[in-house]
Amino acid sequence: MKSIIIGQYIPGKGMFYKLDPRTKIVAVLFIMISVFLLQTIFQLLIALSVAIILLLIGRISLLKVLKGLKPIMILLIFTFIFQIILNREGTPLISHPMYFTIFTLIFLILAFIIWRVLAKLLRFRFTLFFLFAGSVYVILRFVDFGDALIEPFNFAIYQSGLEMSIFVVIRLLIIITLSTVLTLTTKPTDLTQGIEKLLHPLKRIGFDSESFALIISISLRYIPTIFDEANKIMLAQASRGADFSEGKLKDKLKQVISLLVPMFIIAFMRSEELANAMESRNFVPGEKRTRINELNFNYKDVLATVFSILVLAGSIVLRVI
Amino acid sequence: MSYIEVKDLTFSYNEKTNVLEAVNINIEKGEWIAVLGHNGSGKSTLAKTLVGLLEPKEGEIFIDGQILSEESAYEIRKKIGIVFQNPDNQFVGVTVRDDIAFGMENLCIPREEMLSKIDFYAKKVNMLDFLDKEPANLSGGQKQRVAIAGILAMQSDIIIFDEATSMLDPFSREELIKYIKTLHKDGLTIIMITHDINEALLADKILVMNKGKVYAFEETETIMKKKEIFTDSHLELPVSLDIANSLELSDKHKEIREKLWEYALIK
Repeated sequence: MKSIIIGQYIPGKGMFYKLDPRTKIVAVLFIMISVFLLQTIFQLLIALSVAIILLLIGRISLLKVLKGLKPIMILLIFTFIFQIILNREGTPLISHPMYFTIFTLIFLILAFIIWRVLAKLLRFRFTLFFLFAGSVYVILRFVDFGDALIEPFNFAIYQSGLEMSIFVVIRLLIIITLSTVLTLTTKPTDLTQGIEKLLHPLKRIGFDSESFALIISISLRYIPTIFDEANKIMLAQASRGADFSEGKLKDKLKQVISLLVPMFIIAFMRSEELANAMESRNFVPGEKRTRINELNFNYKDVLATVFSILVLAGSIVLRVI
Repeated sequence: MSYIEVKDLTFSYNEKTNVLEAVNINIEKGEWIAVLGHNGSGKSTLAKTLVGLLEPKEGEIFIDGQILSEESAYEIRKKIGIVFQNPDNQFVGVTVRDDIAFGMENLCIPREEMLSKIDFYAKKVNMLDFLDKEPANLSGGQKQRVAIAGILAMQSDIIIFDEATSMLDPFSREELIKYIKTLHKDGLTIIMITHDINEALLADKILVMNKGKVYAFEETETIMKKKEIFTDSHLELPVSLDIANSLELSDKHKEIREKLWEYALIK
């Protein structure tokens, strides 16, 4: 378990890599707010194309961003489908009956089996999923013979439903792309340091941003170590007969406890030793320290900040008009 | 006055039993001391009190003439560093560079100076090519070497190794010992806590701890001739030294004696 990647940072060159993490965080935040202020699909499409142009200028491969979208894809699809089905305003674009007969059921089962078999054999999982979803639609729509299992029902897509669903999906797409660009081009350590510096003014109200950042960076540092540990304990418990993959829920819970208890105990011991190591190297919480990783804010950051402020201002103007 | 002086040091975690009892030690600058002892003999506790991680119940510790107290701990920790047993639990930084820098950051050393020192000391422990690596991609021995570099970068000239080799594979262990030898040659004072007698043989002097007390503290060669010290402390002499002792070789057999010693050292 040596190759656990934390975050999505990929080393590279280009405009976004050279920006100060503070700039990136602020700019992403501003642009996200502006995206939420936009009201029509047209405006969103312009925003999306601007985002894509920026990615191209910043020499970030769209493929990597798309890969970053992958885990969210399911969410996007469901948002889209629910919006389409549940939003029943405006004029209907499509409206026709759907059938569910004994043959529909047989075809559905067949389609499902074919989908699963193909999914095991081929690598185009997403395409296959869409093909399956399409075939479900076709089967429900056209297989109208045989004994009806339930009454035919009406399927309709309304104009505003379609518009809303496209709107929501594009908005999500832009936001996720933005945050992917942030995590793709910023090291986790830089990100924490950026957050630390941005939260620094909160010191007045008693928020210690330095300790906060230290906590985050130590957590990041220990994630792989703790994963390793969990792996070892799982193997150790498995060799004593624990089974983490099968059994009833109750048994599974019991097994998880056999994993969690040692992990917590070890984590406590670890934290004590770590505290000792830090103290012996003269760490005093809350004291002033110099930093090896310095952030530098230069003209590029000024430009980026100005750009994001302009975007925000523009979208506010659009909203007000 | 010795470089490190421990006077009547007593420590206990609870009121009942003392983990350390009336410990008196003098260590000179540049000496290599091995601290031997069975589990629970108080050797790790001694190490922790020396760097001020634990506060003694009674007694005093002087390092370079300065008494160790809560106020002086910060100053004293600039002179004395400690490498712990578990390589993972002392690696604070996200990368090797960050970890070597950690101590210096705490000392508020300017960034430029830190960068040049990191390069210098990383080279010293042969980790220069790994500066941007994360701890998950390092071996235990490499992590221990990073810990050494971090201490050296703070300009400490006393290093305590608290069973620092016990979690390493034989190869990394041998390598780490090699680095400790170089440090000794460079004039650093080394306190090596161990329960491996073969390792202890490399030191100038050996301190045997038994039930929280100093049982013996003598030159390595002399102490190795006294078998009873080890048997009393539940430690075992290397076989070759045992043979050398029991043969009671006269001066004529000096060569054999030397060979047996050599054998013990290699092992």
